[in-house]
Amino acid sequence: MPEFKMGLVDGPSTDEPGRVWDLVVAGGGPAGMSAAIYAARYSLETLVLEGMEPGGQLSLTARIENYPGVPETSGADLASAMRKQVLDSGSTLRSEVVRSVEDKGGKGLVVYTDSAEYAARCLMIATGAAPRRLGVPGEERLHGRGVSYCATCDAPFFRDAHVMVVGGGDSAVKEAMHLADFADRVTLIHRRDELRAEPILARRIQSREGVEILWSTTLEEILGDDSVEGVILSRDGDRQRMDLDGVFLYVGRSPATAPFRGLVELADDGTVLTRGNVLTSHPGVVAAGDVTDNPLRQIVTAVGDGARAATAVYEKLKG
Amino acid sequence: MAVRNLASGELESVKDPGERLSVVDFSADWCGPCKMLHPVLEKVSEEMADRVDFYTVDVDQAQAEASRLGIRGVPTMIVFHGGSEVDRMVGFRDASSLTGRLRELADQHVDGE
Repeated sequence: MPEFKMGLVDGPSTDEPGRVWDLVVAGGGPAGMSAAIYAARYSLETLVLEGMEPGGQLSLTARIENYPGVPETSGADLASAMRKQVLDSGSTLRSEVVRSVEDKGGKGLVVYTDSAEYAARCLMIATGAAPRRLGVPGEERLHGRGVSYCATCDAPFFRDAHVMVVGGGDSAVKEAMHLADFADRVTLIHRRDELRAEPILARRIQSREGVEILWSTTLEEILGDDSVEGVILSRDGDRQRMDLDGVFLYVGRSPATAPFRGLVELADDGTVLTRGNVLTSHPGVVAAGDVTDNPLRQIVTAVGDGARAATAVYEKLKG
Repeated sequence: MAVRNLASGELESVKDPGERLSVVDFSADWCGPCKMLHPVLEKVSEEMADRVDFYTVDVDQAQAEASRLGIRGVPTMIVFHGGSEVDRMVGFRDASSLTGRLRELADQHVDGE
C-alpha cells in the first residue's frame, strides 16, 4: 500500500459507557477542525466525527492561494496539516458519520452513528455541503465515465482532451484553470452573462489560453454509451450538440443537514439558520462552515467560525 | 487478508477468483479521496477476507488498462466475479456502505459463506 497522510484513527468505535463528551463535532472539514483545536485549548473533552470525507471539501480543492500565511498550497496538504494539529491538540477524531441526534432536554444530547452512540453536552454541526447534481439525462449513468465533480481527482484522465466545466462561481473557475493544465481545450459554460467568481479569478480565466467561455448557455443532456462523447447545450432556446470527452459540474452545493432536521431551525435552502454566525435555534447546538446560512463560504471563514463556535460552547459550559 | 498492490499486466489474473469476488481499486497518489479510501479498504478487507480479495492499482502505472476499462475518475473500484465486471463504484465510500454493498454482491454471486 502506498503511504497515506490521512488515515483512520485507531480506537473503539463504540463509546465508553457513561462517558459524556463536552463537545461532539459533526464534520471534519476546516470548521470542525478549527473548533476541535480551540475546544482542546479550552480543556473541553472534544470528539470529532469526521464522517466520510476527512478534510471535507478542502481535501478536494486543487490549489489554495487565499489562506493567509500560506501563499500557495493544495487542499489535501492543508487538510492534512490541520488534521495533524487536531490530533496533537488532544481532541479525538473518529471516522464515523452522524446519522441522527436525540435531544434529552436539559440532559444534553445523544449523537448516533452507524456503530455507536455518544452522549454530549453540546453539539457542533459542521457537516458542510456536497456537490449538487444538475439532474440532466446522462449525468448519473456517466459519473466516473467522463462526468466528474472533482477536477482535482480526475483532471489527469483528460490529457489532451476537450472538457466542459459547468458553473460560474469560484469553484467552477478554479477547477477550469486546473483542468486547463491538462486538457487541450476547456469550454466553460455559464447560464448568466457574467461570472460570479472573485474578480481576480474571473479575469484570469477569461485570458487563459485554451479556455473558452459560452455565456447564457445551459447543459441539457450528456451523451455517450460507455463514456462521455458529447453534450446537448441550449442557448436562447436553440439546442446544439458539442462533441467532447468530459463534463465537470460545479453548480452549487447542498448542505448536509438531514440528520439535524427537527433539532435546529433550517432555512428554505436547507442550511442551518444562525445568529452571531454560529448560534442555532437550539441552546446546546452551534454550527459553522458551509452548512450554515452565512453567505461567504471560504476556508478562512469556516476556520474563523469554528473558533467562534468552540468559544460559544466554552462560555455556555463554564456557566 | 490485506490489500495487495497489483502491477500493470496482473489484472487479468485476478478477474476470476473462483468462488470469491475480487475488488480492484484504481487510484493515484495525487488524489485525496484515494488516500482516504486506502485505510477503509484495509479495514473492509479484514472483515470480508472469507469471501472477497482486494487489490489496488496505481493508474499512472497502468494507464492502458485503466483506459481500456473506461476509467475516467479515481478512486474507481471495480468488482469482478467469474472474469466479468459485476459492479463499479466511483468515489470515496465509507467502511459501512462498502461492506454493505459487497455483502449484497457476495450473496448474489458467491454461494454460501
